[in-house]
Amino acid sequence: MISERLKKIILLELKLDNFDLEDTTQAYQVPGWDSLNHVSILSKIEKAYGVRFKSVEVLRLKNLGDLQDLVNKKIEGHNRG
Amino acid sequence: MLLVASYIFYAAWDWRFLSILFIIATVDYFCGLKIYESGDERIRNFFLILSITVNLCFLGFFKYFDFFSTNLAAFLGHFSLKIHPLILKIALPLGISFYTFRSMSYTIDVYTGKMKPTRNYLDYALFVAFFPVLLAGPITKASDFLPQIISSRKLNLNSFYEGCYLMFWGLFQKVFIADNLTKIADPLFNSPPPYNGVMILLAIYAFAFQIYCDFAGYSNIARGLSKCMGFDIVVNFNLPYFSTNPKEFWRRWHISLSTWLHDYLFSPIAFSKRGWGKWGVIFALMVTFILCGFWHGAAWTFIIWGAYQGILLATQVLLEPRFKKMPLQKNIFVKKIWFFIKVVFFFHLVCFGWLLFRAQSLTQAYRMTEALICNFKFTNGSEIKFISISLIFYTCILIIIQIFQFLKNDHLFILKTKPALRAAFYVVCFCLLTIFGVSGGKEFIYFQF
Repeated sequence: MISERLKKIILLELKLDNFDLEDTTQAYQVPGWDSLNHVSILSKIEKAYGVRFKSVEVLRLKNLGDLQDLVNKKIEGHNRG
Repeated sequence: MLLVASYIFYAAWDWRFLSILFIIATVDYFCGLKIYESGDERIRNFFLILSITVNLCFLGFFKYFDFFSTNLAAFLGHFSLKIHPLILKIALPLGISFYTFRSMSYTIDVYTGKMKPTRNYLDYALFVAFFPVLLAGPITKASDFLPQIISSRKLNLNSFYEGCYLMFWGLFQKVFIADNLTKIADPLFNSPPPYNGVMILLAIYAFAFQIYCDFAGYSNIARGLSKCMGFDIVVNFNLPYFSTNPKEFWRRWHISLSTWLHDYLFSPIAFSKRGWGKWGVIFALMVTFILCGFWHGAAWTFIIWGAYQGILLATQVLLEPRFKKMPLQKNIFVKKIWFFIKVVFFFHLVCFGWLLFRAQSLTQAYRMTEALICNFKFTNGSEIKFISISLIFYTCILIIIQIFQFLKNDHLFILKTKPALRAAFYVVCFCLLTIFGVSGGKEFIYFQF
């Protein structure tokens, strides 16, 4: 499930007041989320959580559920490390 | 069976180049398996790089060797080092740009975990050589198309009808529109200066519709043929001349190539440069589109065309936040007029790109641009009138059909109209094809890419 924090970061970056973001939601389904601002959204998430994604990890993402899993995995790794 | 048919199809042009298809399919098939089976990141990286290197070496050798050789000799000539460029003049294997990109998408998708590799070599060989898309795409991505080859196909009458319609419409676009417009555009682009601005503008309009109908026509035939055999391949053109901005244009024009470039080139570059903020995106756009131009052909005109497309997109990235602040127009009539103005304005920006793309040299592109600005005169009236009428005659059906496709948001709306209207459409198109269609016309433009 998408955390409120992640939702907030995405909606703020896209300047959307409200939009239903689900695990299965794909970037193209979210208004204003296109390939050109994709990078800035991911950068904002990295900054907010203090993590760093690898290019190959980003290429693997299919939907928001995958993005949430990646963030969780990174936070776990960060806490363990 | 389809694999044998595809190999015979390719061999009919030149059987020796079958070896390239075979080597690429074999190397990428094994690389895919090795990448998937190995848990060691270094081994996975090695096989990914091996796959990309093999594909790019074939592409580079056959398509770009002479270009690099000539330009290197010219460059060294500036430093008084006179060497004769080594020109191999090898025939370019048809469709090499398409099947190398298609095959690379497989190993990259396996590497990133988007798909599992196939263990059936014949399935993979068919994915690389599938004859409807072999020579000029669409560049079907492995994760979309390979599962269709592996699973059993579902044939039904509706798909067959849709396939037949797409083939008919594709043939009409190629034989009636594109090949007739070639007869207008070619003499003007092949003529020496001085140029007349009005004639150049008409030549560019003719080429804009020629290249669109030539390539979209081929894509429709490829899609239609695939549909008749139970395959569903991506839509390659989605009414591109209705775009109002560069982003939208690249979501509508040659969709399979722009998706490939976006997924495998733009995204990794932009992400690796995310520290640069907006400029990282602009850098990635410029690199991607210069290479996109170079993919189209080994000539400076293509590179400049790619750079021009990159600049258009970069401008949009920089200006978009300002446009978003502008108040939205609420009056529907004004909205429609504004949309029309934007479509016409952006069409002319695209047309300037086609001038760079079609010109035989940068000097010619410069001379023609100069004529457009400084010599825009209606001097040879009768010739201008004849070319204008021809242009309207060859494009009017396309424009009418596309307006309906756009308004109904349905490419296949013809199939859903009343039988009498549908019959009239087929009869008119068939008559125009048989009376005015160019027999023995030029080969598809994109075959050379």
